[in-house]
Amino acid sequence: MSVPTQPYRRSFGDMSERALAVWLLLPAGLLLGFVALYPVVRLIYTSFFQYQLTQGPEASFIGLANYAAALEDARFWNAFRNTALIVLVTVPGALVVGLGLALLANLPFRVKWPVRLGLLLPWALPLVFVGLIFQWFFDSQYGVVNDWIVRLGGERQFWLFRPDLAFWAICFTIIWKTSSFVALILLAGLQTIPKELYEAAEVDGASRWQVFWRITLPLLTPAILVAMIFRTITAFQTFDIPYAMTKGGPGNATETLAMYVRVTSIENLNFGYGSALAVLLFLVSMAITVIYLRYIRGADD
Amino acid sequence: MKKFFWLLVAILVMSGALAQQARLRVFVGGQQRPDVLRKILDTYQQRNPGVRVEIEVGGATSDQQQQYLTTVLASRDPSIDAILIDVVRPAQYAAAKWADTLDKYLPAATRQALLKQYLPAYAKANVINGQLVALPSFADAQFLYYRKDLLEKYGFKPPVTWDEAIKQAQTILAGERNANLNGIGFMGNISEGTVCSFLLPIWAAGGDVDEGGKLILTEAQARASLQFWLDLMDKHKVSPPNMAEKAQDTIRQEMQAGRWIFGTLFAYAWNRFQNDADSQVKGKIGVVPLPKFEGGRSASCLGGWQWTISDFSKNKAQAYKLVRYLSSPEVSKILAIEASNLPVFPSLYRDPDVLKANPWFADALPVVQSARARPVHPRYPEVADVMRKALNAVLARTKTPEVAAKEVIEGLRAIYR
Repeated sequence: MSVPTQPYRRSFGDMSERALAVWLLLPAGLLLGFVALYPVVRLIYTSFFQYQLTQGPEASFIGLANYAAALEDARFWNAFRNTALIVLVTVPGALVVGLGLALLANLPFRVKWPVRLGLLLPWALPLVFVGLIFQWFFDSQYGVVNDWIVRLGGERQFWLFRPDLAFWAICFTIIWKTSSFVALILLAGLQTIPKELYEAAEVDGASRWQVFWRITLPLLTPAILVAMIFRTITAFQTFDIPYAMTKGGPGNATETLAMYVRVTSIENLNFGYGSALAVLLFLVSMAITVIYLRYIRGADD
Repeated sequence: MKKFFWLLVAILVMSGALAQQARLRVFVGGQQRPDVLRKILDTYQQRNPGVRVEIEVGGATSDQQQQYLTTVLASRDPSIDAILIDVVRPAQYAAAKWADTLDKYLPAATRQALLKQYLPAYAKANVINGQLVALPSFADAQFLYYRKDLLEKYGFKPPVTWDEAIKQAQTILAGERNANLNGIGFMGNISEGTVCSFLLPIWAAGGDVDEGGKLILTEAQARASLQFWLDLMDKHKVSPPNMAEKAQDTIRQEMQAGRWIFGTLFAYAWNRFQNDADSQVKGKIGVVPLPKFEGGRSASCLGGWQWTISDFSKNKAQAYKLVRYLSSPEVSKILAIEASNLPVFPSLYRDPDVLKANPWFADALPVVQSARARPVHPRYPEVADVMRKALNAVLARTKTPEVAAKEVIEGLRAIYR
């Protein structure tokens, strides 16, 4: 049997480099278009419609009315505030804890695996798992946290249904879960810092503190920024952990934006309004990414 | 040549039979005994050789199932023909035009005769704006479960009013001096059960949420309900202070471990108490209608599951035949015996075979008959969210009953308009 390689080779050879590039990029482009672009465009499109299945399957165009309603919706602002507070607490929190973990993991231990395992384990656990596990930890009656408090002579606390305590319990859980991700990125950053710099510092008689502030931290800044971008965006989309721990309760005290989007669309079948809320969430994430990217570019110059 | 001819005929006949065979797909939740349903469907397939029915099993709770079904139905996916839905959903299905109307297949007189056979509450729950949306499969209601042994020890009869229940619980708690024993268990977390908790005192006092599509619930009634549950914790001390955490199945598990005197739970709890290997209360649990208030009436929260036909099904006529079978007395009886599901036909509560399997069904009929339906509204999920969040916030003591009641009425007004 003859293999007809010749004609094909010729046809590829005849193609201009540009045409070839188009063909080679097409599969990835199509995939991205279907998986990323189409849903986003569709989401924005839906957000301009009054489309609530409980009032029938027909959608009618209402322009920006959903957005106007959102800006006057007390529950939206409550969810926005909760989400922003979670970002403000958990991003710096995860950064500080993650930096500590990364420095620890970078020390020349002879046996490295316990530290590395400690780094990887929280990162590898699914978010809902973590939420359910910590829900049990913080349970007022059976939880291990209250058990310790009582053993140490303290009072039982209602961790998950006092708004302030529930907020801190959720933040604690998110920091526990996400600082290992930050630590992994920072550890990679730490290992790119040339050893010679530390040797030179030692020769010059710099203190450990000076070494950290003058060498480690400045050279780690790009890695820190990358970690911050990822962490901030995921923090704005916080859903799983508070959903598993409090379902947004007590009342709506710990409801995040992503949770409100879900309730509006999936439970209340108000897809138009839910889409508008999701677009607002998307815009906030975009804005933050742009600010960070500007900052990085500024730092590069 | 002759052989070839016969072979050809055989192939033609077989392919004809295959073409005639209808394939149906039905959706049920994971806790609704798909194993028993499979047996029922096998019988149906034997009697209707042209039909094959597959079961798709969904999540454990009504919410989880609906999350998946919302995705399927909102995208007009024709893969599911018949769906078992919660009693609170027919209005939503009708409004979204997800359900095929059954009136197409039923002349008015037949429909009336058919609906008369069921418990009246279900006939009512499945007719939305005059249209028959679904047919009932099995019933459910909330009961007061109590510890027979403890009540007998202190010479009490099962309570008829809430005041009696509170006094009995106080006496028993004082007498037992058991730190692990609690008085009255009810749902208080953010879940569907908490909606029922919110509604029970309102019904028991003679009120309701809506009437003829109009909101009739008053702020005073809402406040009284919220205050009632809060008082069980803080004033009467018959419920522990963490009721805002309690889900239905948490109470069930704790009662099974002997930690509650009273529990307001749905019908499924009975079998777990009697049959679970780890149950410490086997034979010690009694069931009565939920208590009423002095001068009010006993009220229970109506549950139950209905068969509806997806409007996107490509086999509606076949699906209709199947749904009629699945909502027949024959199937209701099988479900009662094999899955301990409460029947939707009153006569089955006196059926000797059913009573042999579930002796307590004899007492369950009046409860199911007096059970009240949660508000029938296309925006029910929002109605429910307002009510359960209010009670949860009061039990967590983040809102006073006054503030929460005001918010309930404001929230409901925005929905009912």
